[in-house]
Amino acid sequence: MQLIQLLLNGLSLGAVYALFALGYTLVFSVLGVINFSHGAVFTLGAYFTYLLIGGQAGANGLLAGLQLPVALPFALALPLAGLASALVALLIERVAFRPLRQRGADSLLALISSLGAGVILVNLIQLLMGAESYAIPIGTLGTLPAALSFGGAQVRTVQVLLLAISLLLLLLLSVWLEGSRSGKALQAVSEDPVTAQLLGIDSDGMIRLAFGISGFLAGVSGGLVGLSVSIAGPYFGISYGLKALGVLVLGGLGSVPGAMLGGLIIGLAEAFVPAEWSGWKDAVAYGFLFLILVLRPQGLLGKPLGTKV
Amino acid sequence: MDAGLLEQMLIGALLALSVYLPLRCGQLSLATPGFFAIGGTVAALLSTRIPSFAGTGATSPLPALLLEMTLGGLLAALLALAIGGTVLRLRGIYLAIATIALVEILRVITLNLSFTGGALGIFGIPQPFATASGYAGFTLVLLALVCWLCARLEQLRLGRAMAAIRDDELAAACVGIDTAQVKLQAFVLSALLAGLTGVLAAHFLNSWNAKVGSFDASITTLAFVVFGGSRTWLGPVIGGLVLTALPELLRPVGDLRLIVFGLVILLGPVLFPQGLITPQRLQGLGPWVAGLGQQLRGRVPGPWRR
Repeated sequence: MQLIQLLLNGLSLGAVYALFALGYTLVFSVLGVINFSHGAVFTLGAYFTYLLIGGQAGANGLLAGLQLPVALPFALALPLAGLASALVALLIERVAFRPLRQRGADSLLALISSLGAGVILVNLIQLLMGAESYAIPIGTLGTLPAALSFGGAQVRTVQVLLLAISLLLLLLLSVWLEGSRSGKALQAVSEDPVTAQLLGIDSDGMIRLAFGISGFLAGVSGGLVGLSVSIAGPYFGISYGLKALGVLVLGGLGSVPGAMLGGLIIGLAEAFVPAEWSGWKDAVAYGFLFLILVLRPQGLLGKPLGTKV
Repeated sequence: MDAGLLEQMLIGALLALSVYLPLRCGQLSLATPGFFAIGGTVAALLSTRIPSFAGTGATSPLPALLLEMTLGGLLAALLALAIGGTVLRLRGIYLAIATIALVEILRVITLNLSFTGGALGIFGIPQPFATASGYAGFTLVLLALVCWLCARLEQLRLGRAMAAIRDDELAAACVGIDTAQVKLQAFVLSALLAGLTGVLAAHFLNSWNAKVGSFDASITTLAFVVFGGSRTWLGPVIGGLVLTALPELLRPVGDLRLIVFGLVILLGPVLFPQGLITPQRLQGLGPWVAGLGQQLRGRVPGPWRR
């Protein structure tokens, strides 16, 4: 019974990691650079969700006591928060990535400028909403029961919901990437942006699309984690961002199925860390990450790294 | 100027040089805060647990500090030597991520071991200097020494081999440079510098915990180098000094200061893609500076230079 519970917890955690890591992957595959503001967009998504369900801003920020005039159900608030996060990701692309790309600058620079964008976002949140933690009340789920029973094991409804929503989004994304014209165009840009452009694909548009989707995924996963474990303050996205980076490398940078596999492995591994060792839980993802880089640098499902002459 | 702030700035400059060393041969290693944390932990443990390191006077003895710096630096360098061979086979962003993982693993270990004080860390580290000015004077001498060594490095075989690897690793290997060895040496030197800087910082800060070496620190130290410019040793030094001082200097704008700090990090690479200090910019400043610029560059750029 215990096993089913652990398994489901691990799976739902892993699915959210995968969702979050896919946002990195999309941007990495078209630009070849890690977007370090991704964790901040995740945090933002959680705060947007909290405000949209009618949550009240705490006493310590500039927005103290603010409450939106609407209180949306979670099912509506989550996608809206995702959309708002997508807009922010587009803005980040505009100010932190595009100017560098247009000059053909070293991709290392975008790493720093995106980090700057992340620092701004996190501190803006802190300024507006204060440093306190927020919880998305379980009551927002309407009439759903707090726990479900699977073969005698009690599982929190939230975990099941997390798993279902994440899997649905992962499925939609895969179908879109493999089956649709724009998904294939995105893959072409990630192979070679200049050639793609020559073949009539709007490379810049595709890059914007990648950022938009990546922001949406970050926002949604932020909202889901906020619902599941509460929002621990403006910096809470950073540790998730790092772990998602581990997920990403484990599966193979730039590989979509790899990100999913990596997410599930790390989520399950963390769930099976016994409670008395919980302090070491964070080391699991990084330990995996380190090992895989040393043993198989291209990740589990990545393409082999060649030497370019 | 406040000597405490000056000391922080000097420590920032030393850390920036530690990031710069591997970057000089094109290796983006973000492990500096991990080695910095090792040095600090060594200092905190030795000086709070062993009475002769703390001394009996008002300040702890200076030879004890120098011994700690040697030990802290060596331990960091040994770790770098042990993992460098495998880690440095990775390139570009993969190396960066592996070194971030290393920093995080070290952080979690420090956080969970009981003798490193767990989440609270170690308090009441004895002071080898009575005032912040004492620290700043000592660190200034150390920084000057490290800068001189870095400038000398550019004239030496090792420094030139490093530059050759940065420009084209394959070509460097083809002309007989043992690229793996040179990269490892740069990595170990970087760790040594970060380790002994950690010893100084632990004494200066008076307490030490796992938070010191975190992902944030990895990225901030990298920002020092990218902001200042990674072509000469002067760039990281200026970057470290300026970016460490900035949040403090921005105190008058209150809550907005970290937002302004973020703006600077965001706009720095966009406005100055090469960093603030480039050999060309130094040459534009007049003959004396141009001479310095030539020296900083280390060699006359050839047509192959990218």
